[in-house]
Amino acid sequence: MNHLKNEQLIKYQFKLVSNEKYRAMDDHLAGCQACRAKLDELHGKLSPLSLLQGDPEVPESLISQTLAHVKSAPAAKSIFKFNLGWLSAAAAVLAVAGGLKIAQMMNDPGPEKPLPGTEYALNEPGNQDGPANRRNSGTEGVDQIRKDLNDSPSARISGGSANPMARALPAPGLAGIPLMKSPKNVAIEDYVPDTEPFAPASNIELVTLPRREDVQLTIYNSADLTLVRERRNLTMNTGWNWLQYMWANTLIDPTSLSLEPLAKKDKISIEQLVFPPRLRELARWLIKSQVEGTVPFEITYFTSGLSWRAFYMGTLAQDEETMTLSGYVRVTNKSGEAYENAQTRLVVGKVHLLDEIAKLARRRHAYNEDVVAMDDGKMLRLGDSNSWRFGAVFTNGDALMDSDGDDLALFDSHFAKKEITKKGLSEYFLYTIEGKETLPDGWGKRLPSFEIEDIPVKSLYKYNEDLYGATTVRFVSFSNDEEHNLGETPLPNGSIKIYRNADAENHLAYTGGTSVKYIPVNEKVELNLGTARLVKIEPKVMDFVTENYTFDKHKNISGWDEVRTWTITIDNTRRLPIDIEITRGFGSPYWDLALVDGEVAAKKHDSTHERFTLSVGPETKRAFTYKVRTYTGQRIEAYSK
Amino acid sequence: MARTDEVLLSAYQDGESGAFDELVRRYAGSLLGFLTRMCRDSQQAEDLFQETFKKVYEKSHTFKGKGRFKSWLFTIANNLALDHIRKAGRGPNVISLEIAGGCKSEGCCKTTAPLPLEDSSLPSPADTLLLTEQKARVRAALAKLPVNQRTTLVMAYYQGMSYKEVAEVKNCSLGTVKSQMYRALKTLSTLLPEMMGGLE
Repeated sequence: MNHLKNEQLIKYQFKLVSNEKYRAMDDHLAGCQACRAKLDELHGKLSPLSLLQGDPEVPESLISQTLAHVKSAPAAKSIFKFNLGWLSAAAAVLAVAGGLKIAQMMNDPGPEKPLPGTEYALNEPGNQDGPANRRNSGTEGVDQIRKDLNDSPSARISGGSANPMARALPAPGLAGIPLMKSPKNVAIEDYVPDTEPFAPASNIELVTLPRREDVQLTIYNSADLTLVRERRNLTMNTGWNWLQYMWANTLIDPTSLSLEPLAKKDKISIEQLVFPPRLRELARWLIKSQVEGTVPFEITYFTSGLSWRAFYMGTLAQDEETMTLSGYVRVTNKSGEAYENAQTRLVVGKVHLLDEIAKLARRRHAYNEDVVAMDDGKMLRLGDSNSWRFGAVFTNGDALMDSDGDDLALFDSHFAKKEITKKGLSEYFLYTIEGKETLPDGWGKRLPSFEIEDIPVKSLYKYNEDLYGATTVRFVSFSNDEEHNLGETPLPNGSIKIYRNADAENHLAYTGGTSVKYIPVNEKVELNLGTARLVKIEPKVMDFVTENYTFDKHKNISGWDEVRTWTITIDNTRRLPIDIEITRGFGSPYWDLALVDGEVAAKKHDSTHERFTLSVGPETKRAFTYKVRTYTGQRIEAYSK
Repeated sequence: MARTDEVLLSAYQDGESGAFDELVRRYAGSLLGFLTRMCRDSQQAEDLFQETFKKVYEKSHTFKGKGRFKSWLFTIANNLALDHIRKAGRGPNVISLEIAGGCKSEGCCKTTAPLPLEDSSLPSPADTLLLTEQKARVRAALAKLPVNQRTTLVMAYYQGMSYKEVAEVKNCSLGTVKSQMYRALKTLSTLLPEMMGGLE
């Protein structure tokens, strides 16, 4: 035998030749040192291969992870077992019959028996092979899996799915992710790939968003901010679902969007919220579902454009000793979105905003106009709220609304009063409007909040030229406490109108209006009702002299006293007694005052003012006189002494 | 006496879920070794490892009783690996830093036979570095083989499968397997000395 070539030595070393040739080579090598040397050389060349010998130690974490991963997937179903002999006989009968219909019957799977760990059997149309059958069918097993694995991606996604959306999903595997592969004939409804599909480029594959089943609005008074929680019943398909949400022409903050299933939470997971490029005001949720059918979901987000304001109407009794206070809440929806049958909650308190949500929304500006609904159903435009006139008659709050100026509308229906329940939330206070309200976009709605009767109030007329000019201003005051039949909740800031029962028929006469700040519990509130034209106060200087001049060493005047005599006349033309508070200022802290005539209580108010209080009977004119001396120059020293 | 693979699979099909766990543990090492040598990326090998057993789990009813479970298992793994290699070939070539610097799994490349190039005493850091570099060069040499040859070599040489078993797994003739093995070894007998030359 000739010397062995390298090729032969390779085949010898790795037994790539027949036994006969191997034995012949073996015999030759035993007697040929040169060939043995060449074999050793070959061994040396290939020896680095041994560096990679030995199987790795598989971490326990990988094994447990694998088992968990495997068992989370739908297991193979156990199909009705029947032996090959029976199948052959049946096939023979079918061959004789030769009917297509009978052949189709053969495609019906037999009764299914789930395997352990299998929650639901796979839908495999046409597959009749059970494990036992497989074991008896020669090499079908290896062939079948080879065929399955070599199938094209498009083949893997098709078949058995009765779900058009599922069929329209991008074919798994195209992205090169092995976990996306689905065996052929495995229905996509039951097979949820672990890797999410790529975001759809069109709307075809999306789950449509059905109408709201329920919606709750929580409107924060201090900021242009509303939390919307809406419930919708979405129809889920098993697998990956895209849900498209659009907020065009609304003031929804897209960064606050959130979606959560309200049922079957262990079967449904929200994977992503995608904002597709070049598509404005649109987002798509990617939902992985292991169930099929209708599932309730809750969508939450912040929006701007919804606001509420508090309104109060105080009705004084004829004696003006007590007042009935009615509270209203006006909710205005300018968010661009209509909310039907919304449960509305109102939050009083300062909201700390970390982001710039408010910039998304149009901030509501102050109301410039108000409208009063008259008994005959007509609207009475009263102009600026500060110029309300006497005689406007209310229909007790049945219907009054506007839409921020021009878009005025009137609720013609006299809706039933709804209770607004209040609840403290530490630094916030939550008012929940009873029942549900529909808030169309662009509309406002005013709802009665509370009505408290017989609140003791105190009317006081004030005259202070420094603050109000030469006019008498009327104030009504009360406290938000139990003594005044209030004190249960803080009162949100808002505007208040005060009326008075004008006659026995309870016609209301407008008395005045103002805006009030947030009134905490046990806090006193004093309402400035504006100029009181029926109470006139007239100060008059009756005498003025200067005296007690002092001179310096050059015989120049260095000081003097000014003495004025004032008579204050109060003319109460009202038919009710009134209390009056008159504050007089002297422009200097160096003064003395003495009452000359009249019964009046006088008290120094501050360094430059004296305050007089008195009561005046109905339709009565009273007067009092005082003399005030002011010290000037060196005369101040005399005042100090 | 340990149950055979086929008995375990049958037991799993009859409802004994623990039988499947035993199968996974039984073939975990050899399967991960095969996939690691095929993929060059340990992370990808672990992904394919999971995917292989997932296929087995899902398609257990298609396994034939007369065939060997090991062949069936490696058929699935081989197809998945080939699928991955084909796709990876279309994309950018990514080499894991873990492979370049060793293996991610502890003991992944631990040898069971005495290494001719390795000192039996505790290796110094320099020796460890040298060994790591040698392994990387062997992997690089394997990666230069055509996929079919590499598959055959890995199965026959590293996994200890007979040529007949390899032929069954690859669904080809025995002669084809031997031919692929020969070509692979011939190429390596030239390639390895060139690549290892600077390190020997």
